[in-house]
Formats: sequence, C-alpha cells, structure tokens
Amino acid sequence: MRRLAAPLAVAVLFLAAWQALVVLGRVASYVLPSPLAIVAALAQVWTPVLEAARASGANALVGLVAGSLLALVAAALAARVRVLDHVLTPLAAASGAMPIVALAPIFATMFGATSSLPRRLVVTLVVFLPVFVNALRGLRQVDPVHAELMRSYAAGGWATTRVVRLPGALPHVFTGLRLAASTSVIAAVVAEYFGGLQDGLGSRITSAASNSAYPRAWAYVTAACALGLLFYAAALALERAATPWRRAPVVR
Amino acid sequence: MSPSTAAPATPGPAGPGATTPMVEVRGLTQRFATAGGTVTALDGVDLAVERGRFVSLIGPSGCGKSTLLRVVADLITPTSGQVLVGGRSAAAARREQDYGIAFQSAGLLEWRTVARNVELPLELHGVGRRERRARALELLQLVGLGDVAGARPSQLSGGMQQRVAIARALAESPPLLLMDEPFGALDEMTRERLQDELLGIAAAAGTTVLFVTHSIPEAVYLSDRVVVMSARPGRIAAVVDVDLPRGTGTDVREAPEFFARVTDVREALRGAPVRAGASA
Repeated sequence: MRRLAAPLAVAVLFLAAWQALVVLGRVASYVLPSPLAIVAALAQVWTPVLEAARASGANALVGLVAGSLLALVAAALAARVRVLDHVLTPLAAASGAMPIVALAPIFATMFGATSSLPRRLVVTLVVFLPVFVNALRGLRQVDPVHAELMRSYAAGGWATTRVVRLPGALPHVFTGLRLAASTSVIAAVVAEYFGGLQDGLGSRITSAASNSAYPRAWAYVTAACALGLLFYAAALALERAATPWRRAPVVR
Repeated sequence: MSPSTAAPATPGPAGPGATTPMVEVRGLTQRFATAGGTVTALDGVDLAVERGRFVSLIGPSGCGKSTLLRVVADLITPTSGQVLVGGRSAAAARREQDYGIAFQSAGLLEWRTVARNVELPLELHGVGRRERRARALELLQLVGLGDVAGARPSQLSGGMQQRVAIARALAESPPLLLMDEPFGALDEMTRERLQDELLGIAAAAGTTVLFVTHSIPEAVYLSDRVVVMSARPGRIAAVVDVDLPRGTGTDVREAPEFFARVTDVREALRGAPVRAGASA
C-alpha cells in the first residue's frame, strides 16, 4: 500500500491540475473535457461501458492466451532445434513488424463483420513477439555453473531442461507476458477502429467521438486504460505466484 | 616430457586400501581452439592423488589448474593423455558419481530451497523423497546450516551459500571431492572457518580432495601435497609435500613449519628450485 501512495498522490495532483486548467482556462469540452465531466459521463454510460469492456477484454484475453501459448511452443522448439531457430526467429521479427492498422481491416474483410475472430487474431499476432523473444532468451541462458553441475551428475537433456532450463527461464517468460498483457488490450481496442463487429471499447470510442460526445469518448478511453491495467496487474500477480523465490527476504 | 615435470611423486603410505591412486593423470595435454589460434592449456601433465589425500593445485591465472580439475571431472575431454579416477576412465567415474564437485560460484538453483538444492543429485539419481530429505538435513547439520533448510539461496550470505554447495557435493558420499576455488570469493574470516570445516569433514569421511586455489596459505594449510603449476602452457613445476602437525586452527596457521612450506610454495611459484620432499 505504501508503495502505491506516491503514484496515487501524483495522479490526484495531475487530475486536479487538469480540472483547474479546463475550468479556469475555459477550455472547450470538445478540445478537452474536465475529469469530472468524464466521470459524470462514465456514470451515465456505466452499463454499456462494462459490456464493451467485457467484449474487448474477452478478445484481448483469448488473443493473449493463444499468442502466448504459440510463442512458448515456438520458443521451446527454437531453443531445442537449431534449424527451427533460424526459421522461427526471423518470422517472429516479421510478426512484430506487421502493423495492426494494416492487418485489422484485412482480417475484418476475411472473416466478416459478425465475428470476433479478426480482432482476436490481431491480438494473437501482436502478443507473439514479446513472449517469443523473452522466452527464447530465458531458455537459452543456462548458467555455465549449472550446466557443468548437471553434466557432473550425468543428467540427460530432459532432466537438465526440467531442473535447470525451465525454472531458469520463468522470470524471462513472465517479463514477456507482462509486456504482452497490456499490449493485448491496446491491440484489441485499436483493432476495432477498422471495422468488424461493433461491440468493444474501440468502436464505442470512435462512435462517441464522431457524435461529438467527447466526455463519453473519454469515458470509454478511461475504461480501456483500466482494462489494460487490470491485465498488467493480473500478469504481475501470476508472475509473483509462479516465482516466489525472487522476493524472498535476506536471512542475514 | 620436460624435466621440470614432477614424477607422479613418491607413492603414498601403503596403508590398507591404498592400492590404485584415486586420481591418475598421465601425459595430459589440453589444447583449445580460439580466435587467435590454438592455445595449449596443459602440456604433458602427470599427476597422482593417493586415496584419502588432500592435494591442492596452485598456480598463476591461466596455468590450467581449473582445466585440469575439469578434465578429471570429465567436464572437458582431453586432447590427449589418460585420466583415471578410482581406477576407471574419467567418463565412467562421472557416470558412476565417483566424485562430488564444488565451484567458486556456489551455483545453487535459486528457485529451490536450501534443502532441495542439497537433495538435487539424490533426486536426479532416483533416491526416494523421504530418504533424500533426511540426508539433506543431516548434511546441512554437518555444515552448520540445519536451521535454514527451508530458506531460499538468495536469502543466504556468500559463505552460507558455499556451505550449501559443499553439502550438495557431499550428498552421495563420494570418495573424491573436486573443488575449484570454492572459497575464492569469501572474506578471510569465513574462508578460514570453512577451511577448518572442510578438513574435518574430509578427514572424518576419508574423502580424497583435489582442490584448486590461488591462495598459497590456503593450499599449504589444507593440503598433504601442493602441486605448483606454471603458466602457458600449463605444466607441473613442482610438488611440495606438506607435513604439518595436523589438528586445525591458529596453532597450525602460526607454526614455523607452516611458514616454511608457504615459502617453499612461493619460491616454487617464482620458479626457484624446491628442496624436494621437505618431509620435516
């Protein structure tokens, strides 16, 4: 809790300054609505916000899980088989270079406007790279002392993987997952800007903005931020649960 | 073979069980291919370590002492020469777990508790859960860490971590202990305490120890015999037999014989001829 105090104080100060700027500076609401106006709009459209967040959140989650699983399998293969490494690593880099803005409309056309699949595919692609790169780095890095130790034990490849390689890779894997978690929400929301099913936060933001309902648009943006934070926090909680040794207090 | 290479030395006391040496290295040459060409790390090394003896390898950095230890451990395959551990090939000895090994870095698995680190070799070799836990706790008691069995390695000081690594090396009661500067990163106080503990443990179990160090006093204090190596290509320059009044602690560390042997080793390192044997 104490660690949260400082960032919370900064956030409150920031919001207060924003409110003062809008009210005292007479900024037009279509330029920048005040935080209180956004909160009021949020309260007004609370139910649709929740529904849209649920839709976008489901897309982000499905894409995140699918992309991460694919990336982990690919990283495991690339770490194990050199030929696959040469094939998969450039492909992964290419997947990272593919712009969402280019893919989203193409997928929407391919799968139709009634399917959630296009947005989930976009998320899957976006998630793949950070998880793949970090997992592969983790799987490749075996402490030389551990490698010698396992050899001295005459331990085979699988025993070494199970005992040293996989647990050693976990912190790296979770770094990738943490990066991917918030990226997945951004990708899910942004993918909605380019057609397809209109049930998520992204499409609500565009439609509110095109109706000049700026506080409402900001209310959906706020929900998108909250959703991204939720995903990040969940990934962090998972990381802490899976790697308890990284926070152990020092005995002496 | 160069004349400076010491012979496998005077055979050990022909006590019971002292048949074949624990470690026997003959004509060992080790070359590594590097970007700048081939480096000869070891050149025609002969070494014999009798059972129950404590032998140290000492020399300047790059003299190949760690390489020699790794060849004995079959972590490196020699370019040429013969290595026997307990009368069989180094590879067979490794497969049969004839040695325990400890490195300068404790090399504990940080995600395992202290006890599960000690259990690691037992676990890999199929010892049952209850049995290996009992053995780990017994060993942790032995190295004075009975109370931190459930802690994580990152919670321990460097000296404590190194104790855990020694306990792990002893887990399967190996007849041979290979140690590569295990106390190199520790402060002097901790180092001396661990030296005494190691001597006690090795003597109690009759374990043969091959110990790499770059500390002259450490080599002299611990060893029955100090093998002095010269740098690039690594050769055995001299062998200094140490015959200190056994028993441990300051009595020995401050004895005139101790300083005499320290001087012998230091001069051998500098390349001066050593009074052979020195069995005072």
